[in-house]
Amino acid sequence: MVHAGSMYVIQKTERTVVELALDNGVTGLGETWGTPEAYALCARFAKTWLGKDALDRFALRDATLGRSGYDNRNGRNGLAAFAGLDLAAWDAAGRSLGLSVAELIGGRGRESMDVVCTLPAAIFPKAVSRSELTRHHDELSNTRKVVDFALGQVKKFGFKSFKLKSAACSTEWDWKLLNELKEAIPAARIRFDPNANYPPAVATALCQRLDPLGLEFFEDPTGELEGIARLKAAVKTPVATNMWVVRDEHLAPAIRRSAVDVVLGDLFMWGGIDAWRRMARAAKVFGLKPALHSVYETGIATVANLHLASALPEVEYPNDAGLHFLSSDVLAEPQEVTEGAMKLPAGPGLGVTLDRKKLEKLTLETQSLQ
Amino acid sequence: MAAPLAIAHTHVHSLRVSTGTCAGAEALVARVLAADGTAGFGCTLNDDAGVARDMAAWDALGKSRQVPLFKLLGGSYRTTVAVTKDDLPALRPDWTELRKSILEGRYELLRIDPFAWGSVEMVQTIAASAAAFELGVALLAPNAHPWEIQYCAALAATLKGDDCRVILRKDFPEREIRIKEDPGIGIDWTVEPSFQSIKWQDPR
Repeated sequence: MVHAGSMYVIQKTERTVVELALDNGVTGLGETWGTPEAYALCARFAKTWLGKDALDRFALRDATLGRSGYDNRNGRNGLAAFAGLDLAAWDAAGRSLGLSVAELIGGRGRESMDVVCTLPAAIFPKAVSRSELTRHHDELSNTRKVVDFALGQVKKFGFKSFKLKSAACSTEWDWKLLNELKEAIPAARIRFDPNANYPPAVATALCQRLDPLGLEFFEDPTGELEGIARLKAAVKTPVATNMWVVRDEHLAPAIRRSAVDVVLGDLFMWGGIDAWRRMARAAKVFGLKPALHSVYETGIATVANLHLASALPEVEYPNDAGLHFLSSDVLAEPQEVTEGAMKLPAGPGLGVTLDRKKLEKLTLETQSLQ
Repeated sequence: MAAPLAIAHTHVHSLRVSTGTCAGAEALVARVLAADGTAGFGCTLNDDAGVARDMAAWDALGKSRQVPLFKLLGGSYRTTVAVTKDDLPALRPDWTELRKSILEGRYELLRIDPFAWGSVEMVQTIAASAAAFELGVALLAPNAHPWEIQYCAALAATLKGDDCRVILRKDFPEREIRIKEDPGIGIDWTVEPSFQSIKWQDPR
């Protein structure tokens, strides 16, 4: 599968997998972005964790990232690298205490959760250039390929929820495609995500035109916080963001400006489970709905998101999930989508096991610190 | 977010406290027995047994796993917490008022009585809201009883933000309290002699 959107056209994903071994013999699994920056920071941070208590994650966070956003000199990559280690610490803590991560977060509220199938902006057999992507959008009959792809996903996995990525090349394309999707799968919940690549006026006009379709939400139809706030005031469909409210300090301005309805928080942008949970609680208090964002992650992060959704009643929307698109995973237990939902694994911690052979086959680089 | 614990039995007992300025007041003391037999205790000097049971369940979980409360809730932001005397009113347990107060910028410090708000989860949720708006959180031990003070200190360990403190309505001999590493909530129940003579129900 080729992922085509307004930010990138990709055919593969790279991730950093973390194993955190405790003195008591327990090992926790984590994952984060596979960018060279996040990978390098993970190793750098991990060195400072040696000998520390994995159950004292707040102290580890302050020691790793500093006490304020200003102290975090590594920006998004710093938060993501910390999140990878933090996830491993949660898994290790759960295994040490005999509790699942969901129980540690707040309780196993649900055992099965609907997940969202991402739909590429356009269907290609292999990755293409931006100019080819634009030319492809000139031929509006090509939208049918995306609809057929979505129907294939319904048949194969029973998806009930979709996220249509938009290349933001053509509002006509998006309007036609979303109408066709609604017609082909009338009961589907559909979210629409142009990754803020439409200017505010264009996005607002498009979203007003799309309002009657009753989409689940518009995800980052435009930017920045001010643009999205004005758009939200002009439409009836809920507005979500995964781009403009991504850190602790973004939440209050978004609440005060009434900028969004849904904080589609990414575990790695927010800097781990504790920060995500804190965001979800505060968002709910002020009438916003937290939801879980995901790109193409291995089973480790996919399962972590399931634990969050299970534990937090604040999470009402289905989780983004892209694992079913990956040709291989690193876990021993297959994490399958059935009837559009995924099951929360049983057992302590994340409830999953690393498959070393699978991992070795996929490994590009590895470091061991002790 | 109740304590993730298989509870085998709970019992709430009423006793008269003999310690401090609230001597003679009624306290509700709860005991929660976990399925593995571990006992946890909680208390309140108001009439809401729910908060005592919630506290007892967290205490039992911590004791059962041999870890302090803060390690069950994510860790500690501090090793000590400031104690101050403060006569300003605490926020009533009312979410609408809390939201309004925050949005109107009425406070720099949210003064809350964890016993009135009812549970660990409520305190964590208020603290999350306070953190989003860069507000401090002060936990009121309403009767300045040692049990209340220790519960507030145990919770304070887990609250993000530089300005977190325990407030009392009277002078306290120390300026700060060290966060205990004892399993559970770390309350010394023996400060009330009558606690030891409680005849807890036999779950059998």
